[in-house]
Amino acid sequence: MPSAVRFGAQDPADALAAVAALRRLADQLEDAAVEQAMRAGWSWPEVAEALGVTRQAVHKKHAKRLIAAGVTLRRREE
Amino acid sequence: MTTFKKYVGAMLEQAAREAELDRSTTIEAQHVLLAIAARPEATAGDVLISAGLDQRAIRAALARELEHSLSAAGVSLGAFDLPPPTSAPERATKLGASVKYALERGVHGIRKGKDLRPGHLLLGILQAEVGTVPRALALSGADRADLLLRVRHTLSAAPK
Repeated sequence: MPSAVRFGAQDPADALAAVAALRRLADQLEDAAVEQAMRAGWSWPEVAEALGVTRQAVHKKHAKRLIAAGVTLRRREE
Repeated sequence: MTTFKKYVGAMLEQAAREAELDRSTTIEAQHVLLAIAARPEATAGDVLISAGLDQRAIRAALARELEHSLSAAGVSLGAFDLPPPTSAPERATKLGASVKYALERGVHGIRKGKDLRPGHLLLGILQAEVGTVPRALALSGADRADLLLRVRHTLSAAPK
């Protein structure tokens, strides 16, 4: 029998903190993944659909940051 | 403008920079705590520093809390090898729920604006029983109850 300690499974404080931490991690991963996709030439509609959000939402959240990072962005209609 | 409002304004401005570094879209209590620790000359900052909680120690505690909390869901930060994004998100201007709670708690029971002191902000942050800050402090071995006592002590002392 593996004897690994599975903390958190029973403790509501750990479970709730895990949810909060996963949200923070998801935000950080989104920044990294969107930048990676745009650098690879993905379009806004593709990134938006892959994330399951609207084009407007993804553009509003990431466009300024990516322009500041010097990422060449494809135009929407391309 | 009162000293308290000026202090809170300055702390929130610094906290917004911390939120940016943390890639957070909202300013949370942990960002304000880091801002307070960046001002050791202020009474509240001094309370933190003298308890060993300088910015570096708080950052380490917060990183540990994130790892610890993620591991409760079986997730490890090291499991992801995406390159980190190269620039920060927009400067956070929205206050997160944890800061709103801290402000509410910190000023609770104060009837007159002139009775508000900078230490009430730290008091409100330290009074949270659950959430990222108390968990990080507990993991770092900091004694939150003792910190609260120290802050209350500075607040009961005669104003400078």
